[in-house]
This record gives sequence, structure tokens and C-alpha cells, in this order.
Amino acid sequence: MSPQQDPYGDAESLFRAAYRDMTRTAYALLGNRADTEDATQNSFHRLMMAWRRVAGLPTARQQRAYLLRIVTNEALQILRYPHRKWERSIGDAVEQESSQRSPDENVHAREYLRLVWTAISELPGVRQEVVVLHAAGYEYEEIAAQLGIRISTVRSHISDARQQLSQAVRRDWEGAQE
Amino acid sequence: MSRGISADGPENVLDWLYEQGKQRGERLPEFDVEKTLSRARAARDAGAVNFWSVLSPTERRAFESAARVQTFPAGTTLMREGEQAGEVIVIFDGWTKVCLDDDGQDRVIAERGPGDLVGERGTVPGNVRSATVIAVDTVRALVMTTTDYATFVSEHPGVPDLVKKQIYDRLIDRPAPSGPGA
Repeated sequence: MSPQQDPYGDAESLFRAAYRDMTRTAYALLGNRADTEDATQNSFHRLMMAWRRVAGLPTARQQRAYLLRIVTNEALQILRYPHRKWERSIGDAVEQESSQRSPDENVHAREYLRLVWTAISELPGVRQEVVVLHAAGYEYEEIAAQLGIRISTVRSHISDARQQLSQAVRRDWEGAQE
Repeated sequence: MSRGISADGPENVLDWLYEQGKQRGERLPEFDVEKTLSRARAARDAGAVNFWSVLSPTERRAFESAARVQTFPAGTTLMREGEQAGEVIVIFDGWTKVCLDDDGQDRVIAERGPGDLVGERGTVPGNVRSATVIAVDTVRALVMTTTDYATFVSEHPGVPDLVKKQIYDRLIDRPAPSGPGA
């Protein structure tokens, strides 16, 4: 499949073209169907609101990257909030992978993941996009193609992000335990 | 990975997320773009697009930093008809009923849930509450004083129109007309 190069002329065409990557990313972050639906549906609304700006982007790839950022924000919003949706999504994920642990440890794991995602949402610009796609299970080559950057750039963003995240998370985690 | 996430240390959390993302990608359910689009259009046409979802990430952050998180147990009154308005509330979790006093009886006129802004008419100085809002189940919300809300609105000039539109939609109590070009 060779993705379109000329910018999309209307929001729906762009949305359709990016839909699969949007759902894959949102599902990787959220882990359940209902939240993924919410995140993509809200993204359409946000895209409509931002359309004038998105329409002015010079390439289709930049438009798709912008939309991916919108859906990521919507998904992070659902993840970051200590409300039911968050409990459901992160809760499922943690409990599936840690059923032998005590409830107390699960609460800790949930809180920990929330800190991680908050730290990710604070990474600057393209680094955040790289990390989100990596966390969504995309390979380096796919991320490079998706964002129109070199594989070596992807690698260095991930390695720098690893440092940044570990510092931010360690700081916030220790702060929260005191 | 059988050990605890946090026990593995923050250096490896990205690897853990990648593995999880990959596994989820392999069992990605079918999503239908036409369904998503028609739901999004229906929500817009019904005026059901809520306050929180129209704020940009920057606006959300600004709102969060000026507000406090508060939990209201089921049955609690968030605001009462006739009282002086001092706060606006954005609901994050749980549902509320909006009631009017009808000869001593509470008459439910609306429900407000996640993403909805309640008490926005109280943002006009000196206004009193036009309705009573009661938590139906446990409600978690962001609460902001009307003074801070006025500052928030003045710093984010895109917000008032949205809220005015929401108020208008509610006053006429019927689906919002589609905007120009919609």
C-alpha cells in the first residue's frame, strides 16, 4: 500500500485513511474496545475543530501524524484520569498480566503505569509520537515510515526517552511513596 | 514478564509497554470506520458533544491546574436551586440528575455525566442556581471557583463561545442545529 502524498482535502478522507493506525494505537494504549471507540470518535470531533489548521499542512503524512497525535491525546486523557474508564482499561491490563500478585500490588502497578503515561504525555514533540507508537507495539521501521523520519532518529529518540522517562517516573514514584 | 512492573524498574517500562502493545495489536478487534463516523456525526448533531471533549489539551491542562478534584458520594447535592453560585463543576465519573423544585417535589429535567460542565450559568456574577444537581452514583469531578473560571475563560478566548453554545442548546432544550458548513 502506498499512502497518499498530497494533503487530504477533507477531514473524512483523512480520518478514513488513518483509521486503522488510530484504532491500533488507541487499542494498544487502552486495551478495550469501548475506550478505543471513545478515543477515535472524540478524535474525529477534534479533527473537525482543527481542520483549518490540518488542511494547511503541506503533506498527507504530516496530516496523518497530526491525527495520530490527536488520538493519542484522547487516549492518554482516558488513561490519565483516575476515573472509571481508566480503572477499567489499565485495570484489565495489569490484572491480566499480574494475576498472582496481591490486590495491593495491583493498585501500585496501576498507579505506576499512570505515572509512566503522564510522563510520556509530557515528552516534547516528535519524541512523544515515537514513544507512543513504540509503546503501541510498532517496530522501528514502521514508526520511521509513519512519521517520515530515519530509523536511526527513531532509535535515538527511544534511547533518550528511556532516560527521561526513568528519571521522571523515579522522581514521581518516590515522591508518591513518601 | 512475571515480575511486577515497578519491581523491574523504570528503565524497562518502555519494553513492557512495547510487549503489551504488540500483544494487543495481535488481537486487535475489528473497528468500523463508518460506524465511528456516524456515531461522531450523531453526537455532534444531537449537541451531545460535551464540554471537556471540545477543550484542547492545553485548555484541559490549564483547567485542571486551576481546579481541584472532589468526590461526591451518591445522593450528595452538588448545587442547590436558589443558592448563590460560587463554583463550576466538570464531571469525570458518575452521573448526576438536574432537578427543579416543583411544589416541593424534585422534578428531574436532565442528566449530566462524564465530560459535562455543570453550573456554568453561575459564572455570571451574582447569579443564583437555576436548578439543583444531585449525584446519582459516586461522582468524581473537577471543581473550580467562578473567579478562577472567569480567569480561565479570559485566558482562553475560544472557550466562551463553546459554553455559550452549550447554554443555548440547553435553554432551547432540543438538538443543536448543525453549524455552518456542518
